[in-house]
Amino acid sequence: MNYIIKKEDLPKFLEFLQKKFDQVIVPAKNKTDATCFQQYSGQELFLETRTDFSAKEFFRPAKEKMFSFKKKNSSFNVEPCFDTAKRVIFGIRPCETHALHALDVLFIKFFGEDRFYSIRRKNTVVIALQCSKACENGFCTSLGTSQATGHDLLFFERGSDFFVKVETEKGKELIDSKFFRHTSDALPSADISCKNSLDTEDIEENLYANFNHPVWKEESERCLSCTSCTQSCPTCYCYTTKDEFVFGSDTESERFRFLDSCQLKRFTEVAGNHVFRPSREGRLRQFVLHKLSYYREQYGVHLCIGCGRCITVCPVKISLVEIANKIQKHGLGAKK
Amino acid sequence: MIIPEKPNVAEILSVSQDTSDTKTFEVEFSDKNLQKKFKFRPGQFMMVSVFGFGEIPISISSSPYKTNSINFTIVNVGNVTNALHKLKKGNKIGLRGPFGNSFPLQKFRKKNILFVSGGCGLAPLRSAIYAVREKKSEFGKVSVLFGCKAPENVLFDEELKQWQKEDFQVLSTVDNPNKTWKGNVGLVTALFKHVELPSKNTVVMMCGPSVMIHFSLIELRKKGFKDEQMFASLERLMQCGVGYCSHCNIGNKYTCIDGPVFNAKDLNKLPVKED
Repeated sequence: MNYIIKKEDLPKFLEFLQKKFDQVIVPAKNKTDATCFQQYSGQELFLETRTDFSAKEFFRPAKEKMFSFKKKNSSFNVEPCFDTAKRVIFGIRPCETHALHALDVLFIKFFGEDRFYSIRRKNTVVIALQCSKACENGFCTSLGTSQATGHDLLFFERGSDFFVKVETEKGKELIDSKFFRHTSDALPSADISCKNSLDTEDIEENLYANFNHPVWKEESERCLSCTSCTQSCPTCYCYTTKDEFVFGSDTESERFRFLDSCQLKRFTEVAGNHVFRPSREGRLRQFVLHKLSYYREQYGVHLCIGCGRCITVCPVKISLVEIANKIQKHGLGAKK
Repeated sequence: MIIPEKPNVAEILSVSQDTSDTKTFEVEFSDKNLQKKFKFRPGQFMMVSVFGFGEIPISISSSPYKTNSINFTIVNVGNVTNALHKLKKGNKIGLRGPFGNSFPLQKFRKKNILFVSGGCGLAPLRSAIYAVREKKSEFGKVSVLFGCKAPENVLFDEELKQWQKEDFQVLSTVDNPNKTWKGNVGLVTALFKHVELPSKNTVVMMCGPSVMIHFSLIELRKKGFKDEQMFASLERLMQCGVGYCSHCNIGNKYTCIDGPVFNAKDLNKLPVKED
């Protein structure tokens, strides 16, 4: 079933959603003019292209409380702390629905559920917004992530309307006749053409076979280990846990998890100060290979969705696409 | 609801001081049912929490045939181990696991066994040594090699002597000897020439610093050992133990779920040394 909603009715629709959900998350500018996903409170939306920051914050937040430990009669009460807020995210781009899909594979399907992720995920309704033009540095068409997946509703921009495609029951429930009217029009085109392109043929094997290719050293020489790439990446999920005492208490503590970055030396540092990945070259390679080689081998999907954020934010213009393409051109040659 | 990251409360039953910086903690789950169901295989590790201080992966150092309590041998070297070392009998910690794979002992029947350990790398091997000792008749000859910094760092001194009495070949070596030290001096690889086991029907289990593993593999290959015969337990930073946090990623493997025990054949394919 397909519907149409007038663009001018969008704020009313979001207000309607606010009544149904604890939080309505929309793309908009923050105080520093960067675009990110935030709670809707009547602000102007940013719908031109993908946001600077991904919607990762609502699934894998930078800091998340996992457990509270309370000392009681010389033992401890261990209580998990789940975020059970009901959310709807509007305006997530197709590539990012693939990011959620990639994370679902690891955190829900593969080993059993990581509840801290799966509860957030299951309580969130995803309204995707189809891109009408290619974004800066994006290469989603190369990775097949330009069409949304696993979303509940899909919006297409069409003149002064949004064309809405219903994908799930959860999505159908949000179609309120006050704003939506039924249409039998054909689905608008969702084709975009990215300027960047990544050659993905046998990329997993090629990258792994070219572990010692000179490109790693060349590119990493200007890497600052600033972690911008991993922070902006919608799929970077690596975390570190940390215990903290509740302020002013010596019996209550909490365990948090923080998003960590493989670009930092301490990411592989063990007690005794041994670092297993001490060079920038090794760490940059870890980032690229985890995205385009390891994850695919382990879980069957790429951990890269082609949004190009890591390329856009890199202060020294290191490009994952350029590195990968250079190696792809080289092929399996280095194996000899 | 199963929450893989949730620690279970456990009680410290006893603490023994092994060396100046190493203690062995005997621990039991506070939930008696959990302890009753508890099973592990030699080489596996558990995530140990000190509430308020953090969580670390620690190998089990006790026999897999003794499951009424669990032993951890821990060096005081970081934040969490420091907090652990301050705990006493009766204090509570958090435990989850066991995690990871193990030394494939069932495949080692009728074979001679060579244990190569460095420093606190003896702890995870101790579990395997106990398993072999328990079913001695099923295995061939056993050699235990142990290397550490100085005589005062020798772990499980009494047990090493005891094993020697039970006709295990036990050889230890230190880097910095003192006047009373009668054993060997030098790296653990220097002990290989004293090993009486033939390379043919022998399997090797090793654990220790990555440099030790690296050079042991090289030296043992020279002696005619095949990669298929050699197994090493690796150390990595871990935050979850269940494949979620990616700290222990080596190539396309995770140390926590695909390891910590790797066959030398697989290690060749992995970027273990990444500098």
